[in-house]
Amino acid sequence: MSSMDKQTRQRPGLLQGTLDMLILRTLIYGPAHGHQIGKNIQRTTNDFLQMQHGSLYPALHRLEKRGWVSAKWETAPDRNRDFKYYRLTDKGKKQLVVEESQWKQMAEAVARVMWPATEES
Amino acid sequence: MRWWRLKKRDADLERELRSDLELEEEEQRENGLSPEEARYAARRAFGNATLIKEQTHEAWGWGRFERLLQDFRYALRQLARSPGFAAAAILTLALGIGASTSIFSVADAVLLRPLPYPNPGQLVRVWEQMPNGHRPNVAESNFEDFLTQNNTFASLAAYDYGLASISGGSEPARVNISAVSRGFFQTLGVQPLRGRLFAGDEQRPHGTPAIVVSYGYWQRYLGGTTDLSKFHLDLEGGSYPVVGVMPPGFDFPSGMAAWIPRELDPPGPSRTGHNWQVVGRVRDGITVAQARANLSAIARRIRREHGTEVDLSDAAVVPLAEAIVGDVRTALLTLLGAVGLLLLVACANVAGLLLARTAARRKELAIRAALGAGRGRLIRQFLAESFVFSLVAGILGVLMAAGGIRLLPVILPADLPRQESIAINPVVLLFGLAVTVMVAAALGFFAAWRAGGGDLQDALNAGSRSHAGSSASQRLRSLLVVGEIAITLVILVGAGLFGRSFLRLISTSPGFRQENLITIEFSPPIPQGQEGMDQSAIARQVNLFDSIVARLRAIPGTESLGLAGAVPVAAGDNLPDGDFLTLNGHTPPANFDEFGRMAQNHSQTGHALYAVAGEGYFKTLGIPLIRGRIFKDQDTLNSPNVALISQALARRRWPDQDPIGQTIEFGNMDGNLKPLTIIGIVGDVRARGLDAPPDSVIYVDYRQRGMNLNSTPTILLRTTALEGAIISPARDIFHELAPEAPVKFSTFTEQMGNWLASRRFLLLLVGLFATAALVLAAVGLYGVVAFFVTRRTQEIGIRVAIGAQRSDVLRLVLGEGARMAGLGIVIGIVASLAITRLVSSLLFGISATDPLTFSGVAVLLSLVALAATYIPARRAMRINPVTALRYE
Repeated sequence: MSSMDKQTRQRPGLLQGTLDMLILRTLIYGPAHGHQIGKNIQRTTNDFLQMQHGSLYPALHRLEKRGWVSAKWETAPDRNRDFKYYRLTDKGKKQLVVEESQWKQMAEAVARVMWPATEES
Repeated sequence: MRWWRLKKRDADLERELRSDLELEEEEQRENGLSPEEARYAARRAFGNATLIKEQTHEAWGWGRFERLLQDFRYALRQLARSPGFAAAAILTLALGIGASTSIFSVADAVLLRPLPYPNPGQLVRVWEQMPNGHRPNVAESNFEDFLTQNNTFASLAAYDYGLASISGGSEPARVNISAVSRGFFQTLGVQPLRGRLFAGDEQRPHGTPAIVVSYGYWQRYLGGTTDLSKFHLDLEGGSYPVVGVMPPGFDFPSGMAAWIPRELDPPGPSRTGHNWQVVGRVRDGITVAQARANLSAIARRIRREHGTEVDLSDAAVVPLAEAIVGDVRTALLTLLGAVGLLLLVACANVAGLLLARTAARRKELAIRAALGAGRGRLIRQFLAESFVFSLVAGILGVLMAAGGIRLLPVILPADLPRQESIAINPVVLLFGLAVTVMVAAALGFFAAWRAGGGDLQDALNAGSRSHAGSSASQRLRSLLVVGEIAITLVILVGAGLFGRSFLRLISTSPGFRQENLITIEFSPPIPQGQEGMDQSAIARQVNLFDSIVARLRAIPGTESLGLAGAVPVAAGDNLPDGDFLTLNGHTPPANFDEFGRMAQNHSQTGHALYAVAGEGYFKTLGIPLIRGRIFKDQDTLNSPNVALISQALARRRWPDQDPIGQTIEFGNMDGNLKPLTIIGIVGDVRARGLDAPPDSVIYVDYRQRGMNLNSTPTILLRTTALEGAIISPARDIFHELAPEAPVKFSTFTEQMGNWLASRRFLLLLVGLFATAALVLAAVGLYGVVAFFVTRRTQEIGIRVAIGAQRSDVLRLVLGEGARMAGLGIVIGIVASLAITRLVSSLLFGISATDPLTFSGVAVLLSLVALAATYIPARRAMRINPVTALRYE
């Protein structure tokens, strides 16, 4: 148990606010329920980002409260059961653009500090 | 998000999490895990579902508020589960909060609240100041100079007051009347409730008399009638139309029933007759210091111009609020201090209870922490609990205070200024709330701090036994008890000192026999002009007194009776004092100007109380004649005027001479310049009160000098009969012979009781607080020692099993209690030595470090501690080793 503990602790923590952006980006492909969103992010990053349910659900509900996503109970096509599906709203789309550009600026800024040589080209 | 929609949200979230969890489980199964493994795997992947729910829930706002509610609900449940603890904590704190709130309400009314006048900060009292620092009232001519030459006062007014008989209302009454100068009401900034203030001709010598009455007098004697024009009050021989009624709250000078213009009497220019109290209002923007500097300059100019003819050298200006409160301040601050200490003891006691409870709750706390409650959440939980019981205690305490201040008038001295405004007002409520919040926060953080220590794992693994109380928390509890005992000792020492002072006071002999003495104060109108009573007035008075005395003497049971101008000791403040001249063969002064000039020669003056008495006074009270003779029937209006002096005066004024046969001049007291010949020396009396040394007194004969306005004619009647058997026939006699005169029957003991009451309240209240603190400290000590025994039951069992005697066990337990009590007492004594110094001005006849009080209190506290320890010690002695070893 303790060895596992150590492993998870070594994983990179998500930057504050990044999770919101990732969720919004995932929903571009169409509506999805919480489990799918989590799995999707995990799979896309090759399991680099372990989805913590403790942050996923609060984040989803936070986004819903802000009106960036809307939620609706719908039957899953493959399982014949109801899941809570999240959809990107227009407001959410605009927010995604904003967050994306902020992230880009941030990443470039960090890159310039970390690897100044590449700047020469 | 609306608060009521959160429930629906919660259900929704629950469903969402469940469906996603099931999906995870299905997927795990599809990956080839067995159903059971799949379920565990899914659970593991999800982690702490409750925590997720809580955190997600918070995304919707209201979290903070909800958590608070939750904490409070939980706190209520916890307290309900241990009603014993809750009741003890609540009652203890309610006692502390209630007591401090009621004392605060007194301090608020008397010390803190601004005076009920507009811009009260501008109001000041003014005195003359003598070179020796003494501050007498202001002489008339000096007042005129202050009034006309200052440039810092918006107004300045002189006033004087005294007892007088008023009739013309529903019944005659003996009340306090104030003579006030022009500008008096304007200075204070008050308007009459009905009618008007004095004006025009009413403020001129020999002008039209007028009187303004207090609201209380108007209600009681004038029936609250709106039409004032029909009331003419008879005041010492003059008739005064009522022109106005003051509003109910107006009480200056304190206790007045009516006010008259002082200008009606022609001015009596004098620079040494300190007859006038002065109140003033400084101008806008002028400070008290500036006003004082201004009056000082005027006073020094007077001194330069008049030299030794005046005795002032400076002027004193003090804010009115400060002047009114005077020496009560120390007493009230002492009470606040004592009650604050009581509150501390109460808090320490509850802190001790909390410690025991925290120790017992370690496991619960550990479980909560393991389930994900953060440190902040746990601290909040403790705060919530202490807030719950403190708030309940606070409410209870304020209710107790509300009841307490109804009882206060019984305890507080009647002469405590401004006590009518004592009430539970917003300020007092705020104080109660502030104390409650402070207590709650302190106790909450204390409990949280104690609970925070220690290892979670340990607490979870440990059995209930070894963690019934860690030794650290037991040590802390002992320290709390030591503190409680130390504080209690301080309060006890205070109570002891006041108690000893009071015992000293009541065992002090006034100089006469106090038992079986009925006092009859009656006040026939006294006609008196500027020159005192004329001969015919005195003769009429003597006739009246003689006939009354003769009839009273005939009542069966009357042993003896005597006449006096005031009840000594109890009403001794009413005795006037002044400077007399020793004539030594000089011609007596022909007028008061000459008197004033002769009084400049200090080798020819003396100072004494002026007491009017009849020949029966000394025999009735049992005041011994030391030498010479008492007044006798031959001393009449026309024979040479005689005087008796007290031993103290003989000793002070004529240390190496025989005072008998000396002639003195004391006409400044009654306006009669006939010289007095000293005919005898009588025993000393503490005429001005038991707490003052025996006074210098000059007794004059009422048959020769009459009872003037400075006196309240009083008959002292010694009887072996029940007072009722005397009073009812006596009442008939007065009704028949002097129907217009107010009469007040009482006994000397009763009057002394009133006098002592004002010296007793401090003892009573501090004693009450000390008793409460003592009980709390005893309970605290008992709790710790009992816990000690419980914790060591096994150990004691083993000791007994291997041969320890009962006395060994007893010694073990008593030793534990004795260590705490001893340490507490030592600390308390050291603290008391430092603290009691502050109250030495309130003590009588003993020092602030009175060894008898200190040792007595220490013994008392030790005995109580022993009793508190003995109960658990007895239980320890009875421990049966077999049961003890099984004890879990």
